[in-house]
Amino acid sequence: MSMANSPPMKDRIRGIFVRFGFLLIFAGFVTFFAAWNPVFLQGQNMLNIVEGSAVLLILALGMTLIVATGGIDLSVGIALDFGAAFAIVAMKEYDAGWVTAACAGVAGGSLVGIMNAILVVGLRVSPFMATIGTFFIGSSVQRIFTNGGGPISHRRMPDGFREIAMGDVMGIPLEVIIAATLALVYFVVLEMSVWGRRVHAMGMQRPAAIVAGIPVSRILIVAYIVAAATCAVAGLIGAASIRMFTPLAGFSYLLDAIAAVFIGAALHPRGRPNVLGTVAGVLFLGIVTNGLNLMGLNFNTKDALSGIILVAALALAVAQRKLR
Amino acid sequence: MSATIPPRRRALEQLVGFAPVLIFAGMLVHIGIQAPGFVSLLTLGLVLEQSLPVVLVCIGMSIVVMAGGEDVVAGGIDLSIPATTVLAAGILAQWLAADGGFVMACLLALGAALLVGATNAALVAWIGLTPLLASLAMFGAVVGVNNMVTASRRINVDHPIILWLRDAEIAGIAVGILCVAAFGLAAYHLLHRTRFGLHLQAGGGSVEAAEMVGLSARRHLAIAFLLAALTGFIAGFFVLARGSGSSPGVEDNLMLEMVLATYLGAAFSPRRVVTLWGAVLGALLVGAITIGFKSMGVNVFWLGLIKGALILTVVAFAALAKRGRA
Repeated sequence: MSMANSPPMKDRIRGIFVRFGFLLIFAGFVTFFAAWNPVFLQGQNMLNIVEGSAVLLILALGMTLIVATGGIDLSVGIALDFGAAFAIVAMKEYDAGWVTAACAGVAGGSLVGIMNAILVVGLRVSPFMATIGTFFIGSSVQRIFTNGGGPISHRRMPDGFREIAMGDVMGIPLEVIIAATLALVYFVVLEMSVWGRRVHAMGMQRPAAIVAGIPVSRILIVAYIVAAATCAVAGLIGAASIRMFTPLAGFSYLLDAIAAVFIGAALHPRGRPNVLGTVAGVLFLGIVTNGLNLMGLNFNTKDALSGIILVAALALAVAQRKLR
Repeated sequence: MSATIPPRRRALEQLVGFAPVLIFAGMLVHIGIQAPGFVSLLTLGLVLEQSLPVVLVCIGMSIVVMAGGEDVVAGGIDLSIPATTVLAAGILAQWLAADGGFVMACLLALGAALLVGATNAALVAWIGLTPLLASLAMFGAVVGVNNMVTASRRINVDHPIILWLRDAEIAGIAVGILCVAAFGLAAYHLLHRTRFGLHLQAGGGSVEAAEMVGLSARRHLAIAFLLAALTGFIAGFFVLARGSGSSPGVEDNLMLEMVLATYLGAAFSPRRVVTLWGAVLGALLVGAITIGFKSMGVNVFWLGLIKGALILTVVAFAALAKRGRA
């Protein structure tokens, strides 16, 4: 802090940080990874980053909706697991076609949302406690159902279902297209529609929203169910790509989904969770994961580093907004 | 408002408020009938010994809640304490396994724990992250660092001091229980019998009111995170003693039980707020239920479901009771 004595310089640096801080860090990471391993910047690797981020983006979209209502959803991973489980079981046990299986998966995931909605709206439990409860119950149900957590594999799944993860349209993987479509729908609904404004209104000032006549309970019910159904779609992609249901797999995305939403919120001028910010947050996390992978670090080191980078990124994003 | 509430309604409200306690009592009675061996001094001692790490992290958690307020997202919450605990245990185990000396192991683990606490404090009090977000992200990072330190391996520890914590007894009571009881009393004294403790609680009650009388709620919250990290560090010894070493994955269950016990504890306080003794009692009840169901032969996979349902029942009744009062 040798600049401390000359306020204009300090102000200038502060100004640059406030405006471009996160962007600079973003660019710094890209430069660092590219310098370490030139493969990082190749087109195929960029596609890998986007493809690898699809599932997280879908989950983070659901989380964005819930955080926008003023809550938090710790059970997004459970909705993902249920989506995968219902689809795999429908195909394996009931010989369902791929469309029926996909619908079963989304319906299964929605059960998680219905449970959250009952708790949050019906019993007025705080979203944190409600969804942590759903999380534990959902985890336990999966353990009971799979007798301890063994995966349920289904090698001979219908081609249509397999396509969800493996197919492509003009070289763009189908899962990327699904994630991008969902992001677009979320953007239109949350940022451009009346319903979206109501969601933001109740997220910012619940009492004011109630006074203004916004049907808060109804919006919450819809939001929790839609968010869970969205996460179930991520589960379908996961199940299709590894051709099995792995219990409790969704948990590993929880922290990243929350982080992506809050990095995105911190980038927003008024600090609101928003779809574009979430997309930026997911891409940032995707780049960090991919870059660390390319550095060839050992798994534990990589895990620790990405955890620390996540904390630093959140701190930086929030600090940047606070200074504005 | 309260003067106009008819007595019958008030009785009903009190019943609703005590419902979680009644449910727990009912469950314990049920376990006692189903597994007759459960209600004995031996099992009581076992419950106490098994619960020691949870009791400690609950003490830390309740300090942060008292300093930051009851709001689960924006108030005081520190989900990273269980991670600090396993990190301290991991460092101790790693250092002791390499014959590095007990004092040095303690200093290293303490340093790491306080670093976690200081980071939490900086993130929340200085940068302004919500405590839930900050401590959840820290949980992930610290668990990652611990897995790096221990290479995700189980490390056996047979250092005499850890074995002493596990096995020794004074006047028939396990040393571990005595140590944690002493620590609990010290924490109680600090929070309720000193000027510092009352100032700390003032910030949790109302930041505005505390700042108006010239207290720095932010500074007290920062200190609370450091104290929480300290309890996490101490809990690390008891995790080592309980498991005769450090194993990966202990943190998840510890976090679940910490959240359950701390907020369950609020149901035992007359004002329905998180308190130190409430959290300790909550931790012991959760331990008793866990061991009780296990001794009844209930499938382990069902335990998560039962605990999850318990959390929801408790908080739903708490919400009902609050609505009744409002």
